[in-house]
Amino acid sequence: MKAMGERTEPSKGRVEETPRTREGVPAPAQEATARRGAGMWENLAWSIGPILLGLILTTLALLAVGANPVRAYTVMWKGAFGNAAQFSNVVSSWVPLALASVGLLITFTAGLWNIGIEGQIIMGAIFTAWTARTFDWPAEALIPALFISGIIGGAAWALLAGVLKTYGHVHEIFGGLGLNFVATGVTLYLIIGPWKRAGIASTSGTELFRPAAWLPTFPGGMAVGPIEIAVAVVSLVIVYFALRGTLWGLKLKAIGKNIRSAYWIGISTRLHLLGAFALCGAFAGMAGTVQAIGVWHRLIPAISGGYGYLGILVVLLSGFQAAGLAPVAFFFAAVSKGSVALPLDLQLDSSLGGVLQGIIVLLVILSQGVRARVQRAGASARIDSAVLASPVGPTAAPVEANENPPL
Amino acid sequence: MKKVLLIAALVVLFAALAACSPAPTPAPTAAPPTTAPQATTAPTTAPTAAATKAATTAPTSAATTAATKAPTTAATTAATTAATSSPTTATKSITFGVVLVGPYNDHGWSEANYIAANYVKQKLPGSDFIYLDKLNPSDRPGTTLEQVVTDMASKGVKLILTTSDDFQTDTTTAAQKHPDLTFINVSGDNAWKDGKNYKGLKNLGNFMGKMEYMKMVAGCAAALTTQTGKIGFLGPLVNDETRRLADSAYLGARYCWTTYAKKDPSALKFDVKWIGYWFNIPGVTLDPTQVANGFYDAGNDVVISGIDTTEALVVAGQRQKQGQKVYALSYDYINGCNEAPDACLGVPYFNWGPRYLKTVRDFAAGTWQPGWYWDGPDWKDINNPDTSAVGFTYGKALSNANKATIQNQFIPGMADGSISLWKGPVTLQDGSTYIAAGSTATDQQIWYMPQLLQGMTGASAPTK
Amino acid sequence: MRLELKSIHKYFGLVHANDGVDLTVESGTIHGLLGENGAGKSTLMKILSGFIRRDSGEILLDGRPVEFHSPAEAIRMGIGMLHQDPLDFPPLSVLDNFLLGREDGFVQNRARALADLKRLSSQFGFDLDPETLVSTLTVGERQQLEIMRLLSLGVQILIFDEPTTGISLPQKVKLFETLRLLAKEGKSIIFVTHKLQDAEDLCQRVTVLRRGQVTGQVEHPFTASQLVQLMFGQNLAVSARQAIELGAPILEMRDVAVEDYRLRVPNLNLQVCAGEVIGLAGIEGSGQRLFLRACAGLLPPSAGEIWIAGAKMNRQPYHKFLERGVAYMPAGRLEEGLVPGLNLAEHFVLVGRSKDFFINWGAAQSEAQVKIEEYSIHGVPATRVESLSGGNQQRALLALLRPDIDLLLLEHPTRGLDIESTLWVWNQLLERRRRGTAIVFASADLDEILEYSDRILVFSGGRVAQALVAKETSVTQLGELIGGKGL
Repeated sequence: MKAMGERTEPSKGRVEETPRTREGVPAPAQEATARRGAGMWENLAWSIGPILLGLILTTLALLAVGANPVRAYTVMWKGAFGNAAQFSNVVSSWVPLALASVGLLITFTAGLWNIGIEGQIIMGAIFTAWTARTFDWPAEALIPALFISGIIGGAAWALLAGVLKTYGHVHEIFGGLGLNFVATGVTLYLIIGPWKRAGIASTSGTELFRPAAWLPTFPGGMAVGPIEIAVAVVSLVIVYFALRGTLWGLKLKAIGKNIRSAYWIGISTRLHLLGAFALCGAFAGMAGTVQAIGVWHRLIPAISGGYGYLGILVVLLSGFQAAGLAPVAFFFAAVSKGSVALPLDLQLDSSLGGVLQGIIVLLVILSQGVRARVQRAGASARIDSAVLASPVGPTAAPVEANENPPL
Repeated sequence: MKKVLLIAALVVLFAALAACSPAPTPAPTAAPPTTAPQATTAPTTAPTAAATKAATTAPTSAATTAATKAPTTAATTAATTAATSSPTTATKSITFGVVLVGPYNDHGWSEANYIAANYVKQKLPGSDFIYLDKLNPSDRPGTTLEQVVTDMASKGVKLILTTSDDFQTDTTTAAQKHPDLTFINVSGDNAWKDGKNYKGLKNLGNFMGKMEYMKMVAGCAAALTTQTGKIGFLGPLVNDETRRLADSAYLGARYCWTTYAKKDPSALKFDVKWIGYWFNIPGVTLDPTQVANGFYDAGNDVVISGIDTTEALVVAGQRQKQGQKVYALSYDYINGCNEAPDACLGVPYFNWGPRYLKTVRDFAAGTWQPGWYWDGPDWKDINNPDTSAVGFTYGKALSNANKATIQNQFIPGMADGSISLWKGPVTLQDGSTYIAAGSTATDQQIWYMPQLLQGMTGASAPTK
Repeated sequence: MRLELKSIHKYFGLVHANDGVDLTVESGTIHGLLGENGAGKSTLMKILSGFIRRDSGEILLDGRPVEFHSPAEAIRMGIGMLHQDPLDFPPLSVLDNFLLGREDGFVQNRARALADLKRLSSQFGFDLDPETLVSTLTVGERQQLEIMRLLSLGVQILIFDEPTTGISLPQKVKLFETLRLLAKEGKSIIFVTHKLQDAEDLCQRVTVLRRGQVTGQVEHPFTASQLVQLMFGQNLAVSARQAIELGAPILEMRDVAVEDYRLRVPNLNLQVCAGEVIGLAGIEGSGQRLFLRACAGLLPPSAGEIWIAGAKMNRQPYHKFLERGVAYMPAGRLEEGLVPGLNLAEHFVLVGRSKDFFINWGAAQSEAQVKIEEYSIHGVPATRVESLSGGNQQRALLALLRPDIDLLLLEHPTRGLDIESTLWVWNQLLERRRRGTAIVFASADLDEILEYSDRILVFSGGRVAQALVAKETSVTQLGELIGGKGL
């Protein structure tokens, strides 16, 4: 989270000389100390502040509808952590959310708004469902095959969005949205058409998969098992190290922060963008696999569970840092799951949980804008701002077609 | 940088909206009228002999008896009376859970179940329920039945009624996973010993009302009213249940068309269109409003609704205001005509209350047995709230003459067995004989209806 | 209306864009405002038209001091500006654009506006269909529309910012005719340009700006060389240059044409040899950037052949150019050179030769430290590039260049740098040249061009003069060529 406030936006005007060089003050030294000392508390305040404010606003909303906020939060807490089974529900929701977020982190690092992640989750689930329905293998062989199917499905669908962007100059937000609709359409077609249950035409879903294709769960009526948790944890670890410790990760970062400079430096931007899409799709596809064989055990129209869109919020809130994904995703999973208890206990609509999540994310982004202003007003001139500039900014500068003959 | 923030904010907003799952109906933020403090303080005194008797010796099933046309409802009545009149004899306090697929106030299927839960609460002192509505992947993406079960169990609920065909698979899975909980899947058949899908679970029951009869009444009302001879049936998704209900409506319509209206059976057009789910899910199902409009545009002047919600009647009401003589029959909910009374011929509705009450009472007393119940009407008074599992509300738009025909001829005929529409020959849409001449369909044959019937148009069924 | 600007000051951060500018424009005259890029013309005109606020100084209209805070207020006071890129709304019709900004109340009176439009059209002999979409008009026609729009709003002082860029000759003739007509009607015209010929043809009086200050004012008749002296200064001492033995040809252009959506530069023929320095002179946007980008493979030429080190490179991708020893240092250091958000060490890893998948951060740090010392960058490996000063950013960019470059293309290599940094940069460049690198650089600074180039290409509005030998070229000659005279 700490890096958020420190990103800069490419300055628009001419870069003019500042007296700093003349004075010979090594600016970076100042910066480094600042970051270690008071900066840490300041960063913390900037991160916690919006969350607290979000809670306050949600509390006010609760009071406005005549509900008891303390009870509401207690109910949500109990709904998420009341007992082992409920906790397992939170984890079962955390797994696909973490997978989606970790994929999105890659595309965000490359400066892409991969809205198409929903469709990529769906395609992963569709490919998984096909494998589950086609091969009558024992679980030891089938489950790896199911994950691979999900990876292929998600990656292929993401590559489509990537090709549309890099070759077709369709912005990934629009391409992604379109592909999401197509993916939903394909699911519906399969469920009502070729994969319908015998004698039934219903959009409610396909036949359950064979038990061999079910992810095993922990005993005692738990909703989650070791395999998907391991997949999610390993994915988080891999991406964490890939983004910070590899040349590939560094190149992606460069592209995300300034695609033009990256191109000038000699990075094959198009190839890396496609790679980022494909990898994100692979993780999204695995989220689809988990949804299909760990949660629903069949294909349903809304198989993505909205985890793709939720994943975007997770990445935004975690400040585009791999280390932040797991806890933030966990927070979101707990709020989502805990909020289902609201209508049960208090006749409150459970969309309150979504409201809370949305408010917090909006406030976090807002606070970063405010922080940028404050810091600019603090006049240290250079260290500009615009937290979000890095993921968004570059997209404004498209992969230049005429300058970038086929690689 | 401003632009950047703007884009970010827009995307977040969009994502937040998507995540918040738009509620199709007013969110029940205000407590529903029936909510009362949890009745946890009911004294658990030893039940009196009378109450025990009432509870345990209550007729094996009031509805079963009704269905067998031996209207001995005395026992049921006695039981309910005992429960209501002597609160001190209440069984120990019990909270049961109800899971609804649609909004609790959908004026249709889900609301009928919600009313039944309240009926129990009112009739059985010490009882209360918690419910979760809108449990479907569109309203609550990511929320599984399994999670709801866990949540309800954590609140001490031991009996959970899942009130949709859509929950059947997950209910059975949950029953296997949670042997300490008892599940009722309303409209399912996994607990039917003689059915095709019997699972043999000790903690799973089913029940359903014999809506077929009331759909026959609905079909009759439609046939007697139509001027064009064209009736539309707005179907949900296609399965055994929806096929048999559509078929019943057609059988009723054909009988009244030929017998009372004395018209040529081939002049009766009965068209079935399926939207794909129990209610409208934008982008997933066909839009029932559009389908209903399509029916009327195509010359149907009566539409029989088979879905959980009231779009068909709403459309009919709008068109009546424009001066068109079109009508609709609603479904599921006793007050289903209220959306557009002047266009409403009637509502075949479920009266789940008595069966809910019996189930909860038995469960509380520890006498509940797994089983499958298919409850019929109380033919003495199909609209008796305490005895009849299904009923028919006559609509304002039904002419007095037609109402009289139904009330005085058709229903009594069905009650005494002189009108038996499931008697052969019954021919399926593909021309094959389903019920041979002279024999009557068994429960299994009716329940597992494979196709639409000859004379109906529309997609019959997807058999592989 | 008589306009007086008194002692206008404007700072952008540390840059003194307008340094006590005085300017008087009499009504009924066409007043030229000349100066090279960055001289402060645009700033002054933006202050005058309400886009930005001055820091100090006075604006007087007919002797009365005035204040305004937006272009709309300026227009209400009678001051309107025509921008180089007309600020109109292409998807709307001529009439709709004409209506914009009128204060007719909420309900627009289209009929009256149409009448106004027709009256003005016939007065000036313009021929615009009110219902045509503006997107289908030429730049010249859009100017005509904008002139009429401003006049209909009651503007008395009109500012024209480089109005002859991008319009055809007949349109230019028509424009000048219109301007003279407007002046005759008593309107005051401020004509901002860098084209000497235009100033000579049109203006009764010309004020020249240089580095934010007025360097002089001349009355008609005046000569181009007078203007050049005022624009570029006079002390252009050309230092003695050490002779370099030129090597084999590195870059060859044969009848090359390069173009983008607004400019076409045809007939480029040039041979650059190892060790040679070519300076590209001209007002910014005259084609130098297109030229450099074509040499780097970033812009495919629309005609002709480009050869690098003996290989034809037409339609080869950028990274092939890189492989052949070409390097390009663009002007926007943070926009298209360095990656803001990454630190120095990360930059060196990115351009480093190590292709290992995993980064050895320890080694990267020490490698970065070496480079930082070698290029005397004020920073540490963990310093983010955006927190460096401009001079240090330029040093970092130079440090990022590979050692083995045959052709180095530079855009404004020393813009914005102080003297010390400028000298340091050129020492680095000349050192590379000594080792056989050919250098092609664009600069707006004539001193720099004359001092460091062997040969000079002058660009003016897409036309290119024959390469001049720097030693034999005078600043006047250069200035006139830049101003479009003698091309």
